Amino acid sequence: MSHTVTIEQIVSKTSDLPTIPAAALKVMRETQSSSASAASVARIIVTDQALSARVLRLANSAFYGLSRKISDLPEAVVVLGMKSVKNLALVAGTYPWMKRPLTGYCLGPEEMWRHAFGCAAAAQIVARMSRKCSEDLVFTAGLLHDIGKVALSVWLENKMGAILLYAGREEISFDEAERRVLGYDHCQVGFHLATSWNLPEEICSACLYHHTPAQAAEHQSVVDCVHVGDYICSAMGFGLGGDGMLYPFDEGSLTRLGLRPEQIDAITDEFVEKFEEYEALFLEIAA
Amino acid sequence: MSTGTQLLVGMADIKVAKGPATFTCLGLGSCIGLVAFDEQADVWGMVHIMLPEAFKDKPVDKVGKFANTGIPAMIAEMEKLGANPSRMVMALAGGAQVFKFGSAASSRLDVGARNAEATLEILRGMRAKISAQDTGGSSGRTMIVKSDTGVVTVRTVHGGETELCCLRRGRRSVAA
Repeated sequence: MSHTVTIEQIVSKTSDLPTIPAAALKVMRETQSSSASAASVARIIVTDQALSARVLRLANSAFYGLSRKISDLPEAVVVLGMKSVKNLALVAGTYPWMKRPLTGYCLGPEEMWRHAFGCAAAAQIVARMSRKCSEDLVFTAGLLHDIGKVALSVWLENKMGAILLYAGREEISFDEAERRVLGYDHCQVGFHLATSWNLPEEICSACLYHHTPAQAAEHQSVVDCVHVGDYICSAMGFGLGGDGMLYPFDEGSLTRLGLRPEQIDAITDEFVEKFEEYEALFLEIAA
Repeated sequence: MSTGTQLLVGMADIKVAKGPATFTCLGLGSCIGLVAFDEQADVWGMVHIMLPEAFKDKPVDKVGKFANTGIPAMIAEMEKLGANPSRMVMALAGGAQVFKFGSAASSRLDVGARNAEATLEILRGMRAKISAQDTGGSSGRTMIVKSDTGVVTVRTVHGGETELCCLRRGRRSVAA
């Protein structure tokens, strides 16, 4: 099959490409710095009025159960922890475009969001159980793993049926069908976007290798956590769209993370419990 | 056309109704949607099963979550409305699987196939009449049941909405 449009053209010609607010990116970078403090993170947050309000709302929410009202941003950062503040900033910053329908992938309103947030929550549980990498970094990688779909969606409209037929006829996975039909897959497009945003390498790797974790030469634990998280949230039906579960699962990810197949049910159970709690909280604060 | 009460059967939910109702089980990936009907009592039940079996070392928070707790709980709820298990007919859908596991992968990882098998095993143990099933594959499904016609449909993104079976007498077909 012929491929006429390059990844660069896809990204440059796609109007309404997703973006992450500058303050959210700065908070992410600051929280990864060894010199980060509640005060330094608060100084970034204060530059974004909407984010400041959300941080204070979350710190004062029933979830944290404080008896007194917090109106000081650095104190709110201390109460929430820098990682929660960073996650809130990213979730709130990506929600406006993640909640939109992605018709190219047959995803209705909110479905991409539920899949991304679900993958983030599941991957975080996997990271905690494996103790191989930062839960917090894995959450972010899970949230952003499918950003390539957002850019590619419009180019897939009216082609999804043909790609699915092709995948079925050739007995190949959907990402392989994307590569053969388009010349690249949503993972490569996501990697291109992530690197253009200067996201941390671990997140770029998760975008590129989340369906082929064995190929990740670096940051493999993060990629493995996202691979398993992606599988679990898909299995539970979160944002299946047209490509559904047409992806391979690599058991090697579990092995490398020191987990056993017998644990998959327990991880799934915990994921569903936590997802409902997290989703309600984040939608209340971030939506 | 909507028929009676609209019941959305979310993950781990059990819903029952006597009389007109439409049941919708959304977003079935590896999960199973199971519907049961006692025509004489005009009582319907539906459960959205997530996993095959409850954990031995953890209390069950929602009985509908597991095949081995959800199916008996749904039947008990239907009995409260006057249904009799010996008269029930059932249909199930879901249990999707990922495209491919590694060649040496453990069967424990195939949650969809295990959910379908656990459900069928429990139903066989109860000598339940299974009218139809649509399980496996790699696509998400939505299962819809309209009590007035008895028609059970399954919707997929690309297959559209197709009739799986009719659980009312006259049009009913019974499969193994």
